[in-house]
Amino acid sequence: MTDAGRLTVHGIELEVLRRGAGRAILALHGFDTIDPAARFLDLLSRHGEVMAPSSPGFGNSPRPKDFDTVYDLVHLYLAALDALPGDQVTLLGFSFGGWLAAEVAVACSHRLEKLILVDPLGIKVSDRETPDILDIFNRSPDEVRRRSWHDPDRFAPDYNAMSDEALVVHARNREALCLYAWHPYMYNPQLPRWLGRIAAPTLLVWGASDGVVSPDYGRAYARLIPGSRFTLIEGAGHHPEIEQPKAFVERVAAFLSE
Amino acid sequence: MQAWYHCENVYPFVPQEILDRAESVRASLPNKYCDPKISADLFEECLDEHLLCDELGINVVSIEHHSGINSLYGASPMILGILARQTKKVRILSLGTLITVRPDPVRVAEEYATADVISRGRLEIGFVKSGDSEMVSGNANPVGYVDRFWEAIDLIQKTLTSHEGPFSWEGKHFIHRHVNIWPPVYQRPHPPMWAATGDPETSAELGRRGMVNALVLRGPEASRRAFDAYRDARREAGLPAPGADRFAYAALCYVGDTDEEGLRVGSKTLWFLNTSLKQSPQMSKFLPGRMPPEVAAQNYRTVPRPGAQTARRPADSLIGITAEQAIARGILCAGNPDTVYKQVMDIYEKVGGFGHFIFIGRSGFLDHREAEKGIRLMAKEVLPRLPAATSTPTAEPSRAAE
Repeated sequence: MTDAGRLTVHGIELEVLRRGAGRAILALHGFDTIDPAARFLDLLSRHGEVMAPSSPGFGNSPRPKDFDTVYDLVHLYLAALDALPGDQVTLLGFSFGGWLAAEVAVACSHRLEKLILVDPLGIKVSDRETPDILDIFNRSPDEVRRRSWHDPDRFAPDYNAMSDEALVVHARNREALCLYAWHPYMYNPQLPRWLGRIAAPTLLVWGASDGVVSPDYGRAYARLIPGSRFTLIEGAGHHPEIEQPKAFVERVAAFLSE
Repeated sequence: MQAWYHCENVYPFVPQEILDRAESVRASLPNKYCDPKISADLFEECLDEHLLCDELGINVVSIEHHSGINSLYGASPMILGILARQTKKVRILSLGTLITVRPDPVRVAEEYATADVISRGRLEIGFVKSGDSEMVSGNANPVGYVDRFWEAIDLIQKTLTSHEGPFSWEGKHFIHRHVNIWPPVYQRPHPPMWAATGDPETSAELGRRGMVNALVLRGPEASRRAFDAYRDARREAGLPAPGADRFAYAALCYVGDTDEEGLRVGSKTLWFLNTSLKQSPQMSKFLPGRMPPEVAAQNYRTVPRPGAQTARRPADSLIGITAEQAIARGILCAGNPDTVYKQVMDIYEKVGGFGHFIFIGRSGFLDHREAEKGIRLMAKEVLPRLPAATSTPTAEPSRAAE
């Protein structure tokens, strides 16, 4: 089943991408919403029904007035879990969406069959003068591009080739991300304390060339989630699902089938 | 008409090759390129220029910009404190401390009230929205900053006008549960309030609030649009029509003995446009929140699509401007006193009148001696010929405390 539709959660209307059938996989996007043409989506949908909503303000989802914090997003996705049929859901979060997924898992671990975090943000591990997360708003676009991709020339978006509609979505994504995550920049200082509550089997997938958040940051993240596993994907930066879709889905599928 | 001297206290002494190499001359240019001894001299000169204005009857403007060659006035309230004590007669306008990057407007109100008291009621309070690199250097979220701007103004106004003990503020952007500043303001109910803006929506709100609308380096057409929006908003709200005292026009300006001198020295101020506006793309066109996504989207194209709506800021069109272009566009007034008078009056007619002329009389490599000469000629040869401002009915606040 392929359908770009809408979903209403707690009165909040969301654009949602649905693909495949079977085990429920709720996918939370990163800096940008998930491209319906992304190859990993098709590959992943062989292993379950992928539901990928656009968070309020991102993609074509409206943002309700005063809905403007990570707290709002976390409660939105907790409500989404309640609204989904079945007892358990696999939660998959990319980058910024990985932060949200980790927060949701802390609060509602029992509803999760499995948790998969892909280059997630959301915690601070280094000292106060060492930023862990590349500042995509304050650093030059060239540096952000270089550090986001293993092979930027092949995978970084070509804005000149994008439609006006796609560029507006990109601009909406950046504005929403900035609103939610400007301060503290992309993390919750309290989250590390609570990650230990996550009881669902957890896999952290990391692009070996990620220059937004390093693999070492990922290993530190994994140490905070009891029993979690960390797996590195070569030839990928911050978006292994895009640069190495086959390897990415193989790792995820193996984890799901355990 | 009231004349106001405006000097940004710029720092033009960073070698050009360093500026050319830097991605931005604001926010990220290392401060090792700013010599504190030279800075001390510049502060002394600029503050002396304000004292000269005090002697000559020209009001003074205290501005604020952060972390760059375009201004060393990073802390407007400190400069206000100096001006409040050292000047004796003229009015002092803060234009202004950047309330969109200050976390606590109550502290801002406290600083303003203190300056109003020290100056015995000569303070005028101007607000600017800021944006771009100052959101970065001020660690302030650029998304939603306009809402924050208005709430900060509301809280400052409430703080300045409350005298019966603590009040509580639990707003969208600011929370301060126990507000009761000492000393209170000298002027009652509060010092006159201004804001610098060019967008008609903000001007309309200024009109409803009766604040002075200043346009800085926007030229006559944009100023007229803003002032019309101000007038329309008042009419629609059933408020009396504004006098010219609600409108301020700011331009680079230099008065010399001759046209040749005025133009030669005045052209130096174009450094402000041609050199000090350079900002990195991530701190300007790619910074979220400064324009709607529908408009910002086109910034991502390096090859613009034909007919696509462009997303330039007003300042973008000023970079690289020549003196002749700047004069033609009402950004620069320069020449002998007759010429400058005619240029100002030409703008005045195009705009539909204004009660305040803010002249940016020093910038770039225009030096102290030249600045003082321009100020003297402005005071003696131009200002007396400018028309008196009409005032706005239903008195806006300016009465001193009993």
